[in-house]
Amino acid sequence: MRLVALPRRRYREARYAYATVLPVVLLVALFTIYPLLFALITSLREVVLYRPWSQPFVGLKNYLDVVRSEFFASAWAHTLTFVVGAVPLATVLGFAIAHLLNGRSRLAAWLNVTILLPWAIPTVISGIIWAWIFNSSYGAFNGALYSLGLIDSYVPWLSRPRSALLCVLFAHVWKEVPLTSILYLAALQAIPDELYDAARVDGAGTLGILRRVTVPLLLPTTLIIVVYETMVGIVTFDLLYVMTGGGPAGATSLISYYLYNSMFVAYNFGQGAALAVLLAAALVVFILVYMRLLRSEEIYAT
Amino acid sequence: MRRARLLGRGLGSLLGLLVAAYILAPFLWVAASSIQPEKELFRVPPRWIPRVLTADNYRFVFTGQFPAGYEETGIARGRISEKARDALPALRNSTMVAVSVAVTNLVLGTMAAYTFSRLRFRGAGSLYTFVLASRLLPPMAVAIPYYLIVNRLGLLDRYAALVLIHSVFTLPFSVWFLTLYFRRVPPDMEEAALVDGCTRLQALLRVVAPMTAPALAATAAFSFMFSYNDFPFALFVTSTIRSQTIPVIVANTAINPDVSFGVVAVTVVLTMLPPVAFAMIFRNYITRGLIAVTTTR
Repeated sequence: MRLVALPRRRYREARYAYATVLPVVLLVALFTIYPLLFALITSLREVVLYRPWSQPFVGLKNYLDVVRSEFFASAWAHTLTFVVGAVPLATVLGFAIAHLLNGRSRLAAWLNVTILLPWAIPTVISGIIWAWIFNSSYGAFNGALYSLGLIDSYVPWLSRPRSALLCVLFAHVWKEVPLTSILYLAALQAIPDELYDAARVDGAGTLGILRRVTVPLLLPTTLIIVVYETMVGIVTFDLLYVMTGGGPAGATSLISYYLYNSMFVAYNFGQGAALAVLLAAALVVFILVYMRLLRSEEIYAT
Repeated sequence: MRRARLLGRGLGSLLGLLVAAYILAPFLWVAASSIQPEKELFRVPPRWIPRVLTADNYRFVFTGQFPAGYEETGIARGRISEKARDALPALRNSTMVAVSVAVTNLVLGTMAAYTFSRLRFRGAGSLYTFVLASRLLPPMAVAIPYYLIVNRLGLLDRYAALVLIHSVFTLPFSVWFLTLYFRRVPPDMEEAALVDGCTRLQALLRVVAPMTAPALAATAAFSFMFSYNDFPFALFVTSTIRSQTIPVIVANTAINPDVSFGVVAVTVVLTMLPPVAFAMIFRNYITRGLIAVTTTR
């Protein structure tokens, strides 16, 4: 009796398994495989808006054109500057704020509520707000500096190449810090109190505990945060669109803005697709490195 | 010793207030801007505590009645700000889409995640990896193909297009998050239910779902937020107020250099209300869900 019933039950389970998993898989597949193939094929053809019916095969020409273009180098340089600034800032600030949130005071409870706000609002909205704050004719930032006597006339922060990138960076960190601090808070709360007690019994001071208990135990979280923040930094777009439009003089044209520009402003789809493939490849390489790191990290932890 | 502790606490409070100011100042600045006439906003140096208050900007967005002292700046300007009046329908569009995305994630995401966490079947591992890895495509890279797919499906400028795209973006995360979470739930109770003759789906709905309510709430909140916040895709696949979402409307209003600052501030305030309310309501679930997942090893 059982010998007959078991395969039937297993068959039913398998049918149920596919029925529940396939909707998600098919949906994701439609919006993954087709775009991937599309990008690969388009990147090997010359596809420009003013000649929509003629799409000759050009091999790797688009890739070469894109890589040789001066915009490519500068876009990556800006992206790297941006990421190198944003990731440590978001990580360290998140770590520090998580400690404040972890307290049991009334202030901590109140901070817990407010910290989510920048995360909750749309990125374009935060971009608009920060663009106003740095605005040259009525911005609060200029107003504050002026009131303090630090400047004697308003400065157009967003139209100077170097300060523009800094302003975007500042807005980006403001938007990202809530998530990093919440993640750190979650990791902090998962550390058992006994570990702190043991360290204290061993005579460790506040800094000793931080260095020997908190920081090592938060390493996996840190790794996740660093990787996530790097990815978010590389694909930043919304803020650039509303704050600077990639300007001034391309100073805030990061790689995904350059991609947007090739596709939707210059309408050179072939080059845009080549750029997209390169960007995707860069992200994949990056993720592989991260997985390698994470795996060695886990071995280290156990 | 006691003095040191007191000093430490004082320092902690000071830092806490600084962080609160850092987080809140931009919100307060916009809120204050939305209730002042434009002339006040251009004052140098600005008045940190507004003296002249007005509801004109709100009245304009809600009823279309022009604020006083506004017409004199020219016809073109008035026409530009007219776009701000789309804020209310756009808010409705955004909410409809985001709620649908949250429901899609709850239904499809929960079922798939439960299966991935409990059942063994051929290809389970590779399907799971495929779903998660799909997120590696940079959003800007898939914009044109997405546009083509949506066009082929005949869904341009419709809610369904956005719901589909946002679901594709949120489902991998929801599936990952819920799979980790479900794995932590001991299978004893549902096994009892299965022995009693429940099907898998019934076990999921009656036993597992009620036990994992915080994670489900967090999933709903995350997917709602993503959908409500999305800008690039909403920009590409919508074209009229029939489906344009609030980030698109506000961005289009705000990037115009001639637009009235006070009026845009109103649309910004309105945009922030739903997600802020949502974040407040789901605050505990979001942190609790994250804690549960980050402690899973």
